[in-house]
Amino acid sequence: MKKIKISTIVLNVFAWFWSIVTLYPLLVTFLSSLKDNEEIFGNMFALPTKMIWQNYADALFSANMIRSIGNSLFLAALTTVCVVLVGMLAAYILARQKYFFVKPVYMLFLLGVMVPIHTTIIPISKIAASMKGYDTYWMLILVYTTFQLAQAIFLMTGYIKGVSSEIDEAATIDGCGMLGVLFRMILPLSKPIIATVSIISFVYAYSELVFSVILLSSPNKYPVSRSLMYFKGDYSARMGPIFASIILSVLPLIIIYLLFHEKVQEGMMAGAVKG
Amino acid sequence: MGKKTGRLVWSILFLVPALTLFCVFLLNPIIQAVIMSFYKWKGIAGAPMTFVGINNYISVMKSGTFWLSLRNSLFFMIGGFVVLMPLAFVLAYIVTSKIKGVRFFKTAYYIPVMLPVTAVGLMWVYILQPNWGLLNTVLKSVGLEQLAINWLGTQTVNVISVVLVNEWIFAGFNMLIFAAGLIAIPSEIYESAIIDGANKGQSLRYITIPMMKESFKIFAVLCVTGCLKTFDLMFSMTGGGPNHSSEVPATLLYNEAFSSKNFGKGNAIGVVILILGLALSIGLNKAMKSED
Repeated sequence: MKKIKISTIVLNVFAWFWSIVTLYPLLVTFLSSLKDNEEIFGNMFALPTKMIWQNYADALFSANMIRSIGNSLFLAALTTVCVVLVGMLAAYILARQKYFFVKPVYMLFLLGVMVPIHTTIIPISKIAASMKGYDTYWMLILVYTTFQLAQAIFLMTGYIKGVSSEIDEAATIDGCGMLGVLFRMILPLSKPIIATVSIISFVYAYSELVFSVILLSSPNKYPVSRSLMYFKGDYSARMGPIFASIILSVLPLIIIYLLFHEKVQEGMMAGAVKG
Repeated sequence: MGKKTGRLVWSILFLVPALTLFCVFLLNPIIQAVIMSFYKWKGIAGAPMTFVGINNYISVMKSGTFWLSLRNSLFFMIGGFVVLMPLAFVLAYIVTSKIKGVRFFKTAYYIPVMLPVTAVGLMWVYILQPNWGLLNTVLKSVGLEQLAINWLGTQTVNVISVVLVNEWIFAGFNMLIFAAGLIAIPSEIYESAIIDGANKGQSLRYITIPMMKESFKIFAVLCVTGCLKTFDLMFSMTGGGPNHSSEVPATLLYNEAFSSKNFGKGNAIGVVILILGLALSIGLNKAMKSED
């Protein structure tokens, strides 16, 4: 009996220890976001003596984080819509039809999951230049969509295969064309997997870094990751607003996470563990 | 148009958007990366390209920085197995146990996974800042002045620091992989083991770990294939520096191409990453399957 108790204590201690290790850096960042340079450089460990909420106003309006966050949300929302739409169209065929080309196309998409993104960055910047897509959002959204597509199609095809095809047949008899079957029957039944794919795509596009670095040049188009890179290594600036910018940029994702944390965890797991 | 042809036409139309994106932004860039790796060129648009054969590959293979970047990738892999795996396993054990506050722990541990890597990277850059950063402030206040070094400015130490931040981010994610495995083990097996007189350590050693083979496999595949894809964290924390000491293959590719304007050499690195990545993915998946 005593042995079990000791192991429970060890477990509890470690559980709290790792909670602190996880949350404390976020807390320090938050506290620093309310300080001036003197207090940050003096003792990062200490609590702020006066709360400088002005740092947040400066981050939002002077450093233009409100624009960056808006840009990121916009990119994330459009990417998500594109991934779901294009993905569902393809997944429906791959799950339901038995033409000779279905299997090879599916294998092609699977191969896409394995391709290292960074191999493509130089050619993609060249393609962007030749398509007049440099420094435009539509280019970025198409690239984001492509890199989320393989995984989305994999997840959606698997899910639709699990939906009984009798539903399709019944709808076809009722006079539905293929578009009708997909949008009236399959889409509503696939809500769980659409939610999963949406979360993965949204989080990816909100935070994406490398393509925004190589494809965007106008600072007013920068999403959050690109804007944050701007601050790196600059210790002469006022640090408070920089810390405030970090907090502000993670806030949308934290809110999404706290609202839907089980769905988020489940979804991101499904995305990574593709077998 | 007959019903059958109609179905075929619609099927093709449904596949066209996905296939187009795939061909234009994935297959096409890969083919171009391979072709352009045999050329020398100094700019994205309009710069003249000279065919140089395998010279780019030779100069990559001869470059010490390239091998250093592979070594640094290896650090990520080793860190994964030595630090992340045991850590994630213990966290999984915690969140599937019956201690108080399990829901809070599970939610908290996962938070770093959600955040933009750049934001997390920047946060840690400031925590590790040598003069006023949190870590060195703490070290100095407890009298360990000699340990308060320049974490991101010292060779090798900087790579290890970033590897550890990487484990900090992904502990919560890998926790879920192991938690899924732990939940899948039926409790009757433990009960019968207790009846047979097994203690906690023995049931962990002879039941839990062998029955979680699947989780360990998934972890191994993600860890090995993931280490070549490291970019965002290194880019936002050190940018590959100082003096290229913390380059990983992807940051080296970026720096060769977009900082030094050696686009051909950058592509050669890209092709090496591609071949290594595909070989690792396919090889590992084959090895794991044949074991079953």
